[in-house]
Amino acid sequence: MALFKVNNLQCVRRDNILFQGLSFKLEDGGLLQIDGVNGSGKSSLLQMCIGLIQITEGNISWNQTDIRDCRYQFQTDMTYFGHTNGVKTGLTALENMKVMHALSGFKSEVDYSLILKQIGLAGMDDVLLSRMSAGQKRRVGLTRIFMASSKLWLLDEPFNALDKNGKKIIEQLIVSHCKAGGMVIFATHQTMEIDGYPLQHIHLG
Amino acid sequence: MNEYIKIFFIILQRDLTLVFRNKAEFINPLMFFVIVIILFPLAFGSDATLLKQLTSGIIWVTALLATVLSLETIFRTDFEDGSIEQLILARYPLTLMVSAKVTAHWIIFGLPLIFIAVLTGFILSLSSQTMFALFFTLLLSTPVLSLIGAITVALTIGLRGGMLLSLLILPLYMPVLIFSMLAVQNATAGQSISAEIYFLAGILVLALTLAPITTAAALRIRLS
Repeated sequence: MALFKVNNLQCVRRDNILFQGLSFKLEDGGLLQIDGVNGSGKSSLLQMCIGLIQITEGNISWNQTDIRDCRYQFQTDMTYFGHTNGVKTGLTALENMKVMHALSGFKSEVDYSLILKQIGLAGMDDVLLSRMSAGQKRRVGLTRIFMASSKLWLLDEPFNALDKNGKKIIEQLIVSHCKAGGMVIFATHQTMEIDGYPLQHIHLG
Repeated sequence: MNEYIKIFFIILQRDLTLVFRNKAEFINPLMFFVIVIILFPLAFGSDATLLKQLTSGIIWVTALLATVLSLETIFRTDFEDGSIEQLILARYPLTLMVSAKVTAHWIIFGLPLIFIAVLTGFILSLSSQTMFALFFTLLLSTPVLSLIGAITVALTIGLRGGMLLSLLILPLYMPVLIFSMLAVQNATAGQSISAEIYFLAGILVLALTLAPITTAAALRIRLS
């Protein structure tokens, strides 16, 4: 049983308090949506959750241990997908996926072509990302959630630049991950179309 | 351990592939190096004895300037496209991946620089002892330039302009320049250069051990 817990968190950016006293917890199968207007601290919250931004007040724990004390274990258990795609436009889809797979620790055997097919880019293995559209690049970036087989996904605006079909694919992925006992935290201001799965909400700002 | 070596080479290969697909990025600083060196004989006239005294110094200073121009490429695109976050969050030490990236920079920039420097020295008719000293000092120093440069780039990346970078980095390059020029002068005068070479090797070992750790820490600070 895994537990992700945020306790009394405060976020200060450029001398502004974006939010304070924020607490929530997520257990196996938990699905959490963070929404709020632009600049309300959605991305900052996610970056604090993964330890990129220093925590000034409050604490975040993974399985009862502060994430600063179990950095390696925590990074092994989670996958972060930011508002930038984290892929190189000078590499092909396949090369990017190989790097992502390596960085995630070669955890599982993966079939790159199959993953591309699942994400809606069938047959584009050897296409340079600089020749792809914004939505296609985003999809290549999203393939990292297949590589890592991590417990916790943190997705920052995952639907940006994606078309209807792409959005649907990601929604299905998120739900099936949660149904299999995973946890997902994502920030978006778009409405999610998830039928029959309990969704937690945090509204910032 | 085996896995660590594998990751090192994967990142190295990634960076080399990227550069070879975007050749301008690595050819431009090298072209700058050649052109600036050519400017000096034009400015000083064809006085051979004067040029002979100045050439090795010119080559060295120009090499430093060209290095500063090339440094930003180590982290700039990674910073823009979010790859750096993924490197930090990977399951491997950031120090390891930073080392791979700096190695890539040295292979792309430092190594060709050494050969171009020796070639220009030959064209500008340096004596063989001077060329020998030039070659050895550059061989030991260019990795130091990449390693120390990476720290400063990591600290300044995404901030405005390369100017700040040059102001921060050039003073840090002074020790390397001083020992290298001493070696070159001694060689020209026909004396032993082993003392300076040992010093440069010492600086290299120091940079090799500490710079990747510092760069990794700088990147974490820069992103938070």
